[in-house]
Amino acid sequence: MNPVRVALAVARKDLRSEWRTREMVPALAQFIVLALLIGNFGFQIDGHNAPTIAPGILWLALVFAGLVAFGRTFAAEREQASLEAMLMTPASPVAIFAGKALAASLLLVICEAVLLPALTIFFGTELNGDLIFAVLLATIGMAALGVMFAALVARVRARELLLPLLTLPLWIPFVVAGGQAVQSAMGLPGNYQEAIGLLIDFDILFVVLTSLAARFVLDE
Amino acid sequence: MLVAGAAIFFYAPTDFLQGPVQRIFYLHVSSAIAAYGCFAVVLVGGLIYLRNESAIADRFARAGALVGVVFTTVTLVMGMLWAKPIWGTFWTWDARLTSTLVLWIIYAGYLLVRRLAEPGRQAARLAAVVGIFGFIDVPIVHFSVTWWRTQHPGPIIVNDALPAQMLATFLFTMACTLVLAAVMVWIRYRIETLTDERLHVAEPVQMATSREPEPAQ
Repeated sequence: MNPVRVALAVARKDLRSEWRTREMVPALAQFIVLALLIGNFGFQIDGHNAPTIAPGILWLALVFAGLVAFGRTFAAEREQASLEAMLMTPASPVAIFAGKALAASLLLVICEAVLLPALTIFFGTELNGDLIFAVLLATIGMAALGVMFAALVARVRARELLLPLLTLPLWIPFVVAGGQAVQSAMGLPGNYQEAIGLLIDFDILFVVLTSLAARFVLDE
Repeated sequence: MLVAGAAIFFYAPTDFLQGPVQRIFYLHVSSAIAAYGCFAVVLVGGLIYLRNESAIADRFARAGALVGVVFTTVTLVMGMLWAKPIWGTFWTWDARLTSTLVLWIIYAGYLLVRRLAEPGRQAARLAAVVGIFGFIDVPIVHFSVTWWRTQHPGPIIVNDALPAQMLATFLFTMACTLVLAAVMVWIRYRIETLTDERLHVAEPVQMATSREPEPAQ
């Protein structure tokens, strides 16, 4: 079986089930708007300080929305025991994993499509190509790590507790580099080129590592 | 073995506290290096476990993680105590301090995985992956002082910046700390072995007792 086609089929299946149930996207969109609201009250935002706080709020909202999204990645599989069924097919676990990661990162991209315009509306920040590019780059690595840990903890009793504990520390590199890139894209001090380079490095590192680990993660 | 371990456990610290005035440095750096070593044990244990499911490798990884977290804690606490008089604050969000804190969090998470997941293959695999990914942070911690401009001083040992006497004390402390770490890992390994054995023994016993009342009914 062609692994690329398997991955695409798995991703298509996840997206179709999301399209039919419409569970995650509205919930995540609401979650993001709520995060902005809490940011507003937590930081006492006014027209003066909004642009300096906006990058921080962006990452807080994105990271926590991502945790919620990845926590649900394997929920349907667990409830209907369909992961075992998928693993029984001759398809390689790595391809299945890639499909799940692809679908989950598309969900995260949809979150970003809500988050970035919302930041522009509520915080008056600039919405430009550099900003979108940086956030999308961070999404790749974050999705790979997030789906990997979601798959790992899927069968553990305390999975809601473990997922953030394991994922957040490893997302920190993306928040560090992405934070710097977003700051400079929003016109605050920061070296955009260097941050983008770091993001690409981290993406390559974590995508390679997670695909190496995928075999052990899904294999039963 | 446990008695010998306990002897070294209590003997070693008293020995390396006899250093000159600037004591924190010796223990601070040594325990950081010992923590790196422990996490390397976790890394290697995890890799071997994923390769051939060796229970021994898994137990060593468990032991290494616990001891490593202890030494990271020592490093952080010593560093904070040292930073207060020298930098005037316990904590700054400096690259090395932050990455060390992340290191602590990663391996504390590793220990939580071992506690929360039911013991068995699944938990061991999950932990092995966490241990392998967590190790990425070790080089980040180590090179953070050269990669970024930080408040934390850079490596002075390899740069020959220490007077000979201090260097000797440091090397001695480091050797003691590494031996201490190795012994602690070993003791912990023995404990893990006993725990595993008890787990394996306990299960059939429980089944036997639960089956007993049946004939009476």
